[in-house]
Amino acid sequence: MTDEPTSPTVTEDPLVADAQWRRLDLRMLLVHPVNEVLRYLPALVGVFLLGRSLDGDRWWHLAAVGVPVVVGVLRFVTTSYRITGGQLQLRRGMVRRAELTARLDRIRTVELTSSLIHRMLGLAKVEIGTAGSVAGGGERLRLDALPRRQAQALRAALLHRSPSAAGAPDAGSLPAGEPGAARGAAPAAATPASDGGGPEASVGSGVEVPVGAGPGPGPGGDDQVLLRLDPRWVRFAPLTTAGLVVAAAVAGASSQFAGPMVGDLIDGGLFRPGSAPAGLLIAGAVLAVVLAVSLLALLGYLLNYWGLTLSRDRAGRSLHVVRGLLTSRETSIEIARLRGVEYHEPLGLRLAGGARLDAIVTGLSRRDAGSAPVVPPAPREVADRLGAVVLGEIGPAGAPLSMTLTGHGPRAVRRRYQRALAAAAVLAAGWAIAVLLAGWTAWLLPVGLLPWLVAVPLAADRARRLGHALTPEYLVTRAHSLRGRRVVLLRRGIIGWNVRQTVFQRRAGLVTLTATTAAGKQGYRLHDVPEPDATALADHATPGLLTPFLVTVGD
Amino acid sequence: MAVTSVVLRDPAHRVARRAPLMWAAGGLVRSGVGVGLLLLVSDAWHWFPMPAAAWVGYAVVAACYCVAMPVLRYRLHRWETSAGAVYTQTGWLARERRVAPMSRVQTVDVSQDPISRLLGLATVTVTTASSRGPLQIAGLARPVADDLVAELARRAEALVGDAT
Repeated sequence: MTDEPTSPTVTEDPLVADAQWRRLDLRMLLVHPVNEVLRYLPALVGVFLLGRSLDGDRWWHLAAVGVPVVVGVLRFVTTSYRITGGQLQLRRGMVRRAELTARLDRIRTVELTSSLIHRMLGLAKVEIGTAGSVAGGGERLRLDALPRRQAQALRAALLHRSPSAAGAPDAGSLPAGEPGAARGAAPAAATPASDGGGPEASVGSGVEVPVGAGPGPGPGGDDQVLLRLDPRWVRFAPLTTAGLVVAAAVAGASSQFAGPMVGDLIDGGLFRPGSAPAGLLIAGAVLAVVLAVSLLALLGYLLNYWGLTLSRDRAGRSLHVVRGLLTSRETSIEIARLRGVEYHEPLGLRLAGGARLDAIVTGLSRRDAGSAPVVPPAPREVADRLGAVVLGEIGPAGAPLSMTLTGHGPRAVRRRYQRALAAAAVLAAGWAIAVLLAGWTAWLLPVGLLPWLVAVPLAADRARRLGHALTPEYLVTRAHSLRGRRVVLLRRGIIGWNVRQTVFQRRAGLVTLTATTAAGKQGYRLHDVPEPDATALADHATPGLLTPFLVTVGD
Repeated sequence: MAVTSVVLRDPAHRVARRAPLMWAAGGLVRSGVGVGLLLLVSDAWHWFPMPAAAWVGYAVVAACYCVAMPVLRYRLHRWETSAGAVYTQTGWLARERRVAPMSRVQTVDVSQDPISRLLGLATVTVTTASSRGPLQIAGLARPVADDLVAELARRAEALVGDAT
């Protein structure tokens, strides 16, 4: 064990003491080759097929297996990291050497991820997000991987290195922590993590280390558990947007062969009276697709959210989300980095009385679009309660999630209808052309009118949901029917404004206002706001910013 | 009854007079690429025929684009800085205005593609911590761009912050 961190000195702070280069965990020698083989799998298959046709040249086969293994070993040997001079440095790359550096005081989030292989070996991948890493396209630092406990200790140490510095820009919004307790609290790094495998439910001596991995983890230390997944919530899975996406994908894939089949059925006289069997066939097919999609959605829900536990750490400085059935994910949300919440109630979920909640955080990975799921699709009351709890960490909680919003006026409403009807008209025209080109019976033409039936209620719902509000702390916006979203964004998290006006909007005197932010989706839109209202709103939300550029006009 | 309302005005400064030339050159390049694609599709791959009338139609549309787009852009593209903020306006069909506080400015870059270099123009890009918010001022005369960058750097320096 050459590369076990040289830290028999238990009391040492791992962040200041150790200026020498460290390797990743030696067990990655087992993981890397497997990953490399998986990555080159298509090429490998090709090589083996080629090898067969080339009449048994064994050399090819050896190379095919050997190369990924060698690459894996090289990857391990060439990757090292150290913490020195207030920086985390990561060296990696075989051909193109790269040295990535992150200032410790710029580190915003630390995520631990363990794939199935990692979990069997007791390892965790550490992903470190820094300020601006999303915006600047900068690379995130990735330590793949460390022993689980060491990773957890590293996370605790990185995030809570200096409570006063971390909280500085937002002084006052943080509960006073216990700096002393936090600082001395990373002794877990000293334990050479030898207990390979298995979810570690108890986390030993690490005071800051929050929770273990795996299904149904218990809270570590005095962490306060705010939410635990109730398995019954899985019923909401098929109603989410993800479920709809899966449905669309399945429909798209099946249309490849279903298209001709439908054509044959129609030509075969499906729509003549008395052809019930064919009708049944179609109904059966639809039912089968619905079932398959629901099943996939359930599976996705379980993979993603199984064992989800949301907790607040003892000092009240961060929230921790642990989740995942096979790949376990631990996200730490530093409360000082919290900028608000996204409350999602897509149509299906809304009709079933459900909702889900994401936290808007700065510094999370691009993959998650900066939003950390806090509540999976669940009953609305749960999302409401947790929304209030999360917002309570950064300001007054009550109003933003339930308050009535200001509508965007009659012209915005009219635009919702215009757009929905125009889209329906395009669909109808497309359908008519398709029917005529395919030479199907003209009786199918009225099907093209169906989108209109959907368009009107959809537009009504979209118009009804359009709204915004400004509280002393938050900007609240709500829009969309199918995606159904309400965003509560901390006003001091707003770092600029984009005001967009298309030719059509100009005639209606409307603009689309985007509040840009370093967190979450990087910008949150208010659709079709009357121009003076948008200006007033932006001016109030960020006092003084727009003042030099304002002008009074007669209407 | 005189109803008044407060709205954003246009930013104070236009971009360089030569800027439309830059956009027109870009338009010509894009039109040329279009010709190449059409040739490929009609002559080489025989997806559909391109009669002379179609080529004339394409030429008219492309010419309008190459003339109208730069003119409209020039009319809309404006910029301004105040002590506390950068303000830009861009677009040609849609108008996009962006405001970023000086305290949130992260980087200020100057870039020149070959065409703009030939014309002595430059593009200044101001980024903030939000990837939705970069402010871009295209078609500035090089000296103006350099002055602007120096000024922004000086002002941003005075306001050291976390920028998130």
